[in-house]
Amino acid sequence: MSGMDTSNEILVGVAELKTGKGPQVIKTNLGSCVAVCLYAPAQQAGGMLHFMMAKAPTDVDAKAVKKAKYADTGVDELISQLKGLFGVADGDIQAKIFGGAKVLKEVTHNIGYNNEVAARAILRDRNIPIVSSKTGGERGYKIEFNLGTGKVRCQIFGEEIKEY
Amino acid sequence: MSDQSRINNAITLIARLSIDKSSRTLSKFVRAGARIELERAYVVDVSDATKVIAHGESEVVGALVSLTGDAPFKFLFFVGLKDSFLLADLILRRPLGTTTGFDLYASSAVQEIGNVLATSISNVFATDFQIVMKSTPPMVLHDYAETLFEEYILEAAAEKNELFIIETKFFVVEHNINCHMFIVPLHGSEEVLSSIANRM
Amino acid sequence: MGRRIVVVDDAPIVRLMLKDILQENGYEVVAECSNGNEAVAKFSELKPDLVTMDIIMPEKDGIQSLEEILTIDRSAKVVMVSAVDQRESLMRAIKLGAVDYIVKPFENERVVSAIKNALGE
Repeated sequence: MSGMDTSNEILVGVAELKTGKGPQVIKTNLGSCVAVCLYAPAQQAGGMLHFMMAKAPTDVDAKAVKKAKYADTGVDELISQLKGLFGVADGDIQAKIFGGAKVLKEVTHNIGYNNEVAARAILRDRNIPIVSSKTGGERGYKIEFNLGTGKVRCQIFGEEIKEY
Repeated sequence: MSDQSRINNAITLIARLSIDKSSRTLSKFVRAGARIELERAYVVDVSDATKVIAHGESEVVGALVSLTGDAPFKFLFFVGLKDSFLLADLILRRPLGTTTGFDLYASSAVQEIGNVLATSISNVFATDFQIVMKSTPPMVLHDYAETLFEEYILEAAAEKNELFIIETKFFVVEHNINCHMFIVPLHGSEEVLSSIANRM
Repeated sequence: MGRRIVVVDDAPIVRLMLKDILQENGYEVVAECSNGNEAVAKFSELKPDLVTMDIIMPEKDGIQSLEEILTIDRSAKVVMVSAVDQRESLMRAIKLGAVDYIVKPFENERVVSAIKNALGE
């Protein structure tokens, strides 16, 4: 499982989560996957989860589950790492969520929307406020999460960069 | 040799047989020599898959095809945006530079090349291994390279944490066009691939 | 006036390629369709001399469209257009009543020869 990356620019792939501190920047690209960016302003520490499905399977050995693939296990793992690595407490954390697009129009089921719903649900259950978000649409996302400021630069394909 | 290694060898064999045919098909389509530049088969963690894919292209056009049947696979063909313009001009026999923006013909050029290449791969299954495959109409995506690849691997990644990927680069010689082709086996193809491996 | 042809393919670039070849050889392309549903509807409406029909298409594929067109008119002339060599599909189409087939990527001469053959020219 991913721990602390000490380089300034941290790349997160599909079904992966990474944590760090300011001035590190965590980057990823999204389609139907959703990125949950958790930030503790007081510690200037945070992490990004890039997950692809809503719920982890319950009929397999928990050790075999790649936690960052799923909203539920991924968010819990990210929270756990922030607490363990940076001493972040429950009330310190805020969230921003991105992605969940339907980039393949021909696909009937809207995985992106389901992922967004799952992210919102798990964050609500964990009492983590979503302070901003940009989700949906039909184009890919490129996001950069600045751990020094907590801001996320988001560029949807073909559009201008916006800050959240 | 483990079962999985043998299956991976079988997939690599299928890819090698497909690539030769695909290269000739692509050459015929674009009416120019297409050289296979690199082919590699590798196992990669799902999380690293999109990181290795971009090849310096930020904006790409890709065609995704599902090959269904006894050995389900996922196929992807993609090129950089500007190369899609050149492909459209080559296929339509228009002066290069005629296509200057991402239009219906640039999109459709990638779509149709993807269609033809995917079908040539399913042909290899049929003629060399007597395995019946069917390809779906290609889905075309114009987006970030990483977004395209994420959508491509999603189905395979849903079942496994590691993916076996066959990657091929085609180079359209005269016109300096780099094309990328990928095949990834899906869950459900193991039995058939195992039987191919047994015959090797 | 040239013989009237409906071109059916989900790829606009293929429709354009075929249209160019057909028009250069004196045929009139009276409609272009991107899927089988459109193809059957246009066939009913326009009663063309010939239809070129792609096999793999969304919504309704070429084989099903061929069947429906032949139900409308048993003597309809349909030339299948296949990606590479989809032997099984082509054999099925010929058995159902398609008069010929062209394999992509196609040569201009082969397209013209298949059309002429189908139209009895």
